Amino acid sequence: MKSVEIRNCNSRFHKNIGKYTVSLKDSCFHCGLCVEICPYCVFDRIDGFNHVSTPNSAGCLGPDCKEGPYYCTTKCPVDAIKIELDPQWKTLGDFRWTPDLIITTWQQAETGEIPRGNLEYRIGASGGGFDVFDFTIDDVTAISSEEIDNIITSDKISTSICLNRRGEGPSIEIPVPWYGAGMSFGSISLPSILARAHSAKAWKTFTSTGEGGYPDELIPYSNHVITQIATGLFGVSEETIKRTPIIEFKYAQGAKPGLGGHLLGDKNTPGVAKMRETVPWNSLFSPFPFHSVYSVEDHKKHIDWVKTINPDALISVKVSTPSDVDMVAVGSYYAGANIIHLDGGYGGTGAAPEIAKKNIAMPIEYAITKVHKFLLEEGVREEIVLLASGGIRTAFDIAKSIVLGADGAIIGTSDLIALGCVRCGNCESGRGCPRGIATTDPELEKQIDPSWGAQRIINLYASWQKQLKLLLYKLGLKDIKELRGRTDFLKHIDEK
Amino acid sequence: MYKRYHIETSPVELSTTKIGKFEIIRNDSCLNCGRCMTHCIYDVHKRDSDDPRIMSDPVNHLCKNCFSCIQNCPYQALEMIKNKEFEKLGNTYWTPQIIHTIWNEAEEGKIPIFGAGYRGPFRGSGFDDIWTDMSEIVRPTRDGIHGREYIATSVDLGRKLPWISDFAKLDLTNSYEIQIPMLLDTSPLGLNSRGIILPIIKAAHKLGTLAFLDIENYFDELKPYLKSIALRCSLDKITHLDRAPWREANFIEIALPQKYSISELERVLKKLKSENQTALISLGLTNPSLSAGIFKQFKEARADILNFYADNHGQSFEGNIFICESTRKLQLDLVKERMRDEVTILGKGGIAAAEHVPKIIICGADAAVLDLSLLVAAGCRVCKVCKIDDCPVELEKLDPEIAEQRIINMICAWRDQLLEILSAMGIRDVRRLRGEKGRAIFHEEIERESFEFIFKENGPVK
Repeated sequence: MKSVEIRNCNSRFHKNIGKYTVSLKDSCFHCGLCVEICPYCVFDRIDGFNHVSTPNSAGCLGPDCKEGPYYCTTKCPVDAIKIELDPQWKTLGDFRWTPDLIITTWQQAETGEIPRGNLEYRIGASGGGFDVFDFTIDDVTAISSEEIDNIITSDKISTSICLNRRGEGPSIEIPVPWYGAGMSFGSISLPSILARAHSAKAWKTFTSTGEGGYPDELIPYSNHVITQIATGLFGVSEETIKRTPIIEFKYAQGAKPGLGGHLLGDKNTPGVAKMRETVPWNSLFSPFPFHSVYSVEDHKKHIDWVKTINPDALISVKVSTPSDVDMVAVGSYYAGANIIHLDGGYGGTGAAPEIAKKNIAMPIEYAITKVHKFLLEEGVREEIVLLASGGIRTAFDIAKSIVLGADGAIIGTSDLIALGCVRCGNCESGRGCPRGIATTDPELEKQIDPSWGAQRIINLYASWQKQLKLLLYKLGLKDIKELRGRTDFLKHIDEK
Repeated sequence: MYKRYHIETSPVELSTTKIGKFEIIRNDSCLNCGRCMTHCIYDVHKRDSDDPRIMSDPVNHLCKNCFSCIQNCPYQALEMIKNKEFEKLGNTYWTPQIIHTIWNEAEEGKIPIFGAGYRGPFRGSGFDDIWTDMSEIVRPTRDGIHGREYIATSVDLGRKLPWISDFAKLDLTNSYEIQIPMLLDTSPLGLNSRGIILPIIKAAHKLGTLAFLDIENYFDELKPYLKSIALRCSLDKITHLDRAPWREANFIEIALPQKYSISELERVLKKLKSENQTALISLGLTNPSLSAGIFKQFKEARADILNFYADNHGQSFEGNIFICESTRKLQLDLVKERMRDEVTILGKGGIAAAEHVPKIIICGADAAVLDLSLLVAAGCRVCKVCKIDDCPVELEKLDPEIAEQRIINMICAWRDQLLEILSAMGIRDVRRLRGEKGRAIFHEEIERESFEFIFKENGPVK
């Protein structure tokens, strides 16, 4: 396989946010020693200037640097460098996406490398689920950096998964155990959609249209775009069903299970409305559930219908996580689905009632084990692909989902973070995302250049694959498929 | 003509609730270039109206934490910090976030809707240890064109007889239907000022529900609203039972002190019933652990309703049990004794957010009693010590109409959120939610079910 091209891809902002602020006191006489010693480009002196520029604090590793040879504060001859914790740090992020996670995701999107420094890039601070699991490996085991390079660049450790295990129909294999979640045209901007599609193509994995139609600009990527059929049937046509290798039936979404879809009027611009065949500026509600599906038999009828239009497509069924999700999964299997896509309660969304996100349906961690166990008991586990989404933020979340019993994961919010999302959560109304990601405002969406965005997501995926390979190596495995259900590799984080 | 129940909302702003979560600081490096203004889509940054050469101070409460101005500033002149005023709100239970959410609901009367996923902790204690269920395949609850099918939120207060043995001996007491499974309470903090009592009672009247009022706070202007008032008095203080308003009240609550004599209770209830045959009688209880024997005594004394008081953090006054747990246990006990329908269960204390209403109902209550949340809707900041003369928002002087509309707005938002929860489950009547433990996911149970095998050899789940 030709390897994916990783290129450095810097932030699009003047100022980056970091954990520390570095400032120069008045005693600084601009000798420039710090510019020479800092390898992280915190200090700079523009050619022809006497003064050292305002420090670029975001690059600073803080006290972590102390042991190394570069610690500027002690080297400075007049003790003029001050490093403090940035009070702004606390304003970023939340329990699920901590400032550490957001910043390290940005770092990975910039460099394509596993984050260095002391920021926590594996778990959040939610105090439950993935965030309290740890792998039972001795992290102290010294692996030399050359060895690490060997592991992550060689093909000896496989991270690929197959999306069809039924023994009939096309065989589709993706080199990484994840693909992109449905995010509609309307909830996010076209440049963001194109960035995701481009990175999916580069990684030979998939992205999904979401329920907002299939913009013509996506046609060049059609081998890597999943057509979603959701309850509102917005923008679904025979052409878009024929065009795709995988068809995703969305029954419910984890962030708003049982409530259908929402696109508030502000974001339903004429372009979006045309794609969805609706009236501009009207709020759009997808119903819940499919008004033609009240049983597994009805569901089978649905699948037969799309199979008639596109016999070669794989079928994915996206459901949220009620307490009887195991039954739903088995029903979907018997109706002919190739992929069961579980969307947990803490998943992302363009707009959803806060009460639904927090309270309705269970977090994905519980649902994976529940469904995996039940499919095993029913003897059909080896014929179906179980994918998890809804709160999968990092490579370690993906690995933990697989340990709990999934085959792979589906990624949404992390893609957006790579594009520069700060999770301020104001994408639902008005002009949408002020940072140009989840918006349909023609002015705001110009902030994202699709090729820049694609490279950011490509880089993030590269770092994730490296982390998975390294993890598999440390666990003594050669293939991500061997990891499934190996709960013996997990322990509680507080356990010594 | 048949009319659907509907709550009339209208936006009411309150200047004292304009406390943003964040504060933007403009430092000396600012060149007044105005780039922050072009990047901010929320009008936080504006030029000074008197001197357009300079930027005026950021309007912090409009800031939505998007970092656009900060990251696009060419001179690193802007910085965001947490707003201390915001952090100071409330306490560990009534968190700044909870207060802020109620303020927004009271202002807009709408369900809080935001983009991006959930941002809170995985779980918490009390109400936050419960998830509500949904159903993948149900009758349609939301239609793309016609909106939402009707979901009933009315509940009945009063006992339901298991069967009728003798029509001649039928109780005159009627059951009383309230339109929402929420009752209001006028004395949450001992803040018994008329300035806040009247708006709460008027709101209850408009909403088609009841408001609890201590008898000592009753005044004559309240007479037109007597049908919407639940008059309350402690058992050891009750007097003048033969006078108005006891004789005219629809709904009477006797608060039981920690120690009381059952014969005294029987005597008072008998007297009440003889003076006012149609009133529903409720008992206010501080101890949530009832034996079947005590319950039978209450039943024989002809109490229709039991209202369990907890403190503002949802902890019972006796026994320190959280309101969810005690209600769950009570529900199970009553079902076991086959007496559940012979009494209405209410829960009061610690109901601080919209999701607490369906959750307490799932645990077994018929309806929730809102208290402190009503004050918060009116602008209260839940200070450590509440002094009516020294109130930072001058609650006493608040325009009663503003307070009333804000309370109505909040309750409308809460009812709409209850509808969201019910529709996700495919339930069309909130009465059916009562005690439906199977339609909820309890943390401890699901954790054991899902993860026990994981930790079998490595120790127990924490």
